[in-house]
Amino acid sequence: MFQNRMEGLALALPAAVFAAIVFLVPVGILLSEGFRAEGSWTLASYAGFFESELNRTVFWRTLKLGAIVTAVSAVIGYATAYSIVTLPPTARGRLIGLVVMPLMISPVARTYAWIVILGRTGFVNETIVWLGLSDTPIRFLFTETAVFIGLLQLFLPLMILSLISALENMPRDAVPAARVLGANWLQVFVKVILPLTKEGLVIGGTLVFTGSLTAYITPAILGGSKVLMLETLLYQRVTVANDFASASIIAMILMVMSFSANLLLKRLATARNKR
Amino acid sequence: MFKKFLASGVALAALSGAAHAADKTLVISVYGFAQDEFKEIVYDPFEAQCGCELVVETGNSVERLAKLEARKDDPEIDMAVMSTHDALSAARKGITQSIDVTRLSNYDKLYDIAKDPVGDHMGVGYTFYATSIAYRADEVEIESWADLFQDKLKGRVAFPNVSTNQGPPALYMVGKAIGDDAADLKAAIGEVAKNKDDIVTFYERSSQVAQLMQQEEILAAPIGRFAWGAYSKMGFDMAWATPKEGQTGGMNVMILTKGAKNEDLAYEFMDFWLSTEIQTKLAEALVDSPANADVEVSDEIAENLTYGAETVESLKLLEPAVILDNREAWLSEWNAQIGQ
Repeated sequence: MFQNRMEGLALALPAAVFAAIVFLVPVGILLSEGFRAEGSWTLASYAGFFESELNRTVFWRTLKLGAIVTAVSAVIGYATAYSIVTLPPTARGRLIGLVVMPLMISPVARTYAWIVILGRTGFVNETIVWLGLSDTPIRFLFTETAVFIGLLQLFLPLMILSLISALENMPRDAVPAARVLGANWLQVFVKVILPLTKEGLVIGGTLVFTGSLTAYITPAILGGSKVLMLETLLYQRVTVANDFASASIIAMILMVMSFSANLLLKRLATARNKR
Repeated sequence: MFKKFLASGVALAALSGAAHAADKTLVISVYGFAQDEFKEIVYDPFEAQCGCELVVETGNSVERLAKLEARKDDPEIDMAVMSTHDALSAARKGITQSIDVTRLSNYDKLYDIAKDPVGDHMGVGYTFYATSIAYRADEVEIESWADLFQDKLKGRVAFPNVSTNQGPPALYMVGKAIGDDAADLKAAIGEVAKNKDDIVTFYERSSQVAQLMQQEEILAAPIGRFAWGAYSKMGFDMAWATPKEGQTGGMNVMILTKGAKNEDLAYEFMDFWLSTEIQTKLAEALVDSPANADVEVSDEIAENLTYGAETVESLKLLEPAVILDNREAWLSEWNAQIGQ
């Protein structure tokens, strides 16, 4: 297309300079702050961060909730995606539309809706009391359960969509063939569906996990200061304590967690491949 | 092409010239709340009076204080409003200068506690608020700060986070109720920690409490009087507690930055804001309770404010120096005992 490579690169230069100035450099400066103490490079502030019991609790909680949300959304995602792809095209299109719909509503509105639904006088509690499962309303708000439900609802569509596109690319006869050869459903899933759709799972898993780690609004509204996550802790450090050093440490930890999750999922996928 | 470029440059220069038409400019830094009311009641009339331009910067206390500190040697902001303890912190950092109160004609009209709350005239109080417990009178009775932890309120009460402006004063009063109001707040934080599983949330924004109350998630919470308006309109039997240990609260002050480039204008503005007329209008709009003792408002308005000499005298406020010197310790005590 271009006479030489230089011309193409020259055209990309303005965008590259822009990205470097407004994104890479500031992020670099912010993140490097966590490695500096009294003018020299050190990991001391990271060690200090993990010395605090509160910080450790928040770190493990974030990791735990991220992992559970990812695992549960994968289970629900496979079931939903599989039933959707086996439908005729019109019904499939409509159902995919329904899956996408929540993504078009602001996460703030969706999360506030959960406050009403999960509240003492909300739908969930009224049903529980009506069914006689409990005499008094159960407290969901400001618990890990509430944050889990909020995050799951927020990110499940991403998993379902990734899995739908993966399942659509799977050879149509693979599952019937396995069934004919005597495989039960568990074997079909583990030996046929999973290996053939692992890329969708990796993409969906990365999106859900990273999303859960970095979501702010949902843990802030449904968890509050009783269920701090890394993201809400970061915000608190900046706005309450003006402590940018801790904030940059948390930002770095979140980035490392996201990249590690992606690498781990990819590794799991390729390991299965070699077998 | 080049001509066009040149022309647009000239146009730009002309535009920026227009922005500087008012040769006097005052830069102020204020809280982000009720800015529409402030513009109508304070900013616009003041601009008309001084023939100057008012530049208003808003933000939360932490951001604004950080900005003031960063520009300490070449301040762009002339005057700012903040809490008494933030004002003391600014004074200690050498960001502010002592206010020459003889240049404020309305100074003598202020309630005594507003005259020099920070010390050395490093701030002049312009509003204050009571902090007590808002509760559902049809469900519970509150006669003491310790009543927050009664059986009926288990799982039905919210408490301010220690990081909020309501947090430390509320803890201070809990301390008084359990007979240990030492400045380290250890006993009070311990009491809250003991009950932490029964406290729905440790709120960080007053709007959040209003929502929980509206949804009947909670039946009581310590709040600032400035937020009361929303509660009285909820349609419940809401009451404002007058606990036997008393009510607490906080005060906001005006400060003058050291090396302010428009000192005269800043004095003129502060005096304007403290005047009986402006303080009355702000009170009537339920924006700020008056610090000017000459302000008179109807009973209906007073009901929603922290108003009247008696109320003002009875407030048990934490000294700004106590807040500033203990804040870090409170936070780590809180994080150790309650933080989760």
